[in-house]
Amino acid sequence: MTARRRLAFTLFGVLLGVVGTAGAHGAGLASASGRSLNVPTWLFLLTGGGVIGASFLLASFVTDRTFIRRIHGWRRTFSIPAIRVLTGIGRVVGIVGLLFVLVVGFVGPQESLYNAAILVVWAGWWSGYAMTTYLVGNTWPILNPWRSIAAVLPSLERPYPDRLDAWPSVVGLLALIWLEVVSPVADQPRFLAGIVAGYTVVTLAGAVVFGEETWFGTVDPVSRVFRYFGRVAPLYADDGISVRLPGAGLSEAKLVTSRAEVGFVVAVLWVTTYDGLVATPLWRRYAVTVVESGVPPNLLYAAALVVGYLVFLGIYRAAAKESKRRARTYVPVETLAHRFAPPLVAIAAGYHVAHFLGYFLELSPTLVGTLPSPLSPPEPVALVLPAWFGGLELSFVILGHLLAIWVAHAAAYDVFPGKLQAIRSQYPTTAAMVCYTIVSLWIVSQPYAVPPYVS
Amino acid sequence: MTEHTNPRQTPPSDPPEEPATCSYCGEKFVDEQLLALHRGIEHESRLSEAEADAYRAARDTEREDIRLFRLKALAALLAIYFGFIFVYAFVV
Repeated sequence: MTARRRLAFTLFGVLLGVVGTAGAHGAGLASASGRSLNVPTWLFLLTGGGVIGASFLLASFVTDRTFIRRIHGWRRTFSIPAIRVLTGIGRVVGIVGLLFVLVVGFVGPQESLYNAAILVVWAGWWSGYAMTTYLVGNTWPILNPWRSIAAVLPSLERPYPDRLDAWPSVVGLLALIWLEVVSPVADQPRFLAGIVAGYTVVTLAGAVVFGEETWFGTVDPVSRVFRYFGRVAPLYADDGISVRLPGAGLSEAKLVTSRAEVGFVVAVLWVTTYDGLVATPLWRRYAVTVVESGVPPNLLYAAALVVGYLVFLGIYRAAAKESKRRARTYVPVETLAHRFAPPLVAIAAGYHVAHFLGYFLELSPTLVGTLPSPLSPPEPVALVLPAWFGGLELSFVILGHLLAIWVAHAAAYDVFPGKLQAIRSQYPTTAAMVCYTIVSLWIVSQPYAVPPYVS
Repeated sequence: MTEHTNPRQTPPSDPPEEPATCSYCGEKFVDEQLLALHRGIEHESRLSEAEADAYRAARDTEREDIRLFRLKALAALLAIYFGFIFVYAFVV
């Protein structure tokens, strides 16, 4: 209970800070946390929802169009010396990393904590590296080993069927997450290496058939995730390296331009939730009941993944419709759905930090230890995180939401001529966000239960 | 504003009998007030004298509305803030 209480106080502190009286109450909070207090779950969840609602109200006080545009338009460009050399090094690092994972995965020690391939992929790449894509900038187009290899392969340049749009990347993302949850891909190095080899074959074949640009720009789910995450980041490539305020890249009109791309953004948000949901005691009880009634577990996990995704899509679609009704606008629902999807990426990034920062820090000493001698690795080193760390992780969840609210606010001002019209258009999305926060905080507050019947 | 050069527009659920249509880009609005604001923001350099006046008038009206909205938002913020203080005081 103490951990949750501390989280609740962090949240309450954020709420106070948001309302602008943090200074006045800081001392009171500090002494309050010394007492033996218990925050019930419902209040903890309600506080999270309250923070989101309050920040929406606060954002609505900013009504100066020029000010909003100036904040989002702020840019500085730097030229980086020896950019070609750095790019070349990045490509080599990517390719060496891929070979390393394949070799060490197949021939290295087969216990997960001793195997550098497992550690490189999960702690190094999917936790640590993924964080750099939204905290610093998207370097994946350079590092991506499959892209570097595809660039030197011949291409058939077959025309890509336009009606498929970004849907293959949605299917690919859901499939990868399903695999991550139901298979031993994080425990068995040989299985992981097999998956990486399979992904290599599919990716290179696709890039050869449809061309490198089409494959990595449209179909490949990993490239797409990192590209969207990169929009949150302050650094981006533009005739050199440019700096913008975090999240400013999300309010641009060109980022999401089709129904399939909206589908992808919603999928990114859903898979982070799904990942946490299947590790709750509630899911365990539910899954045990369903599997005992005769449903194969892998099917159950796949069905839950797809059904949950459709529910998320439905809610987003309903919010966009309601947004049109509230704003009384002739702008089509589709356009509103495109404009208000990118802020969700900021939320997904916030949850990614909350899920993976601790995991990354705990495993990084082991990762660094195994890298020099992957075939005869040293004993794993456990890094114990301080108790307040959970509060830090939660504050990233809230930060992601705050960024999303601000970006949506800016986008609404860009779409609608009326200021009140812009604010009203945000009521449905804000309501959805408050509910989503409550659900997600509930998931985070649950004790970890290993997903049943898998890995 | 975006993609207004070729707006594929659909009426809202409670459309007016005759939408206010922008003579510069063809975008439709439910009332003259929103149209006047749109013209002032998007086509500022091309406005006629009357349109510029309409824009100023619409902005004044909007300013009043915003002021009222801010009061309501402030009331809501205070309600959330003190609501939580009370709940925390009693529950914790």
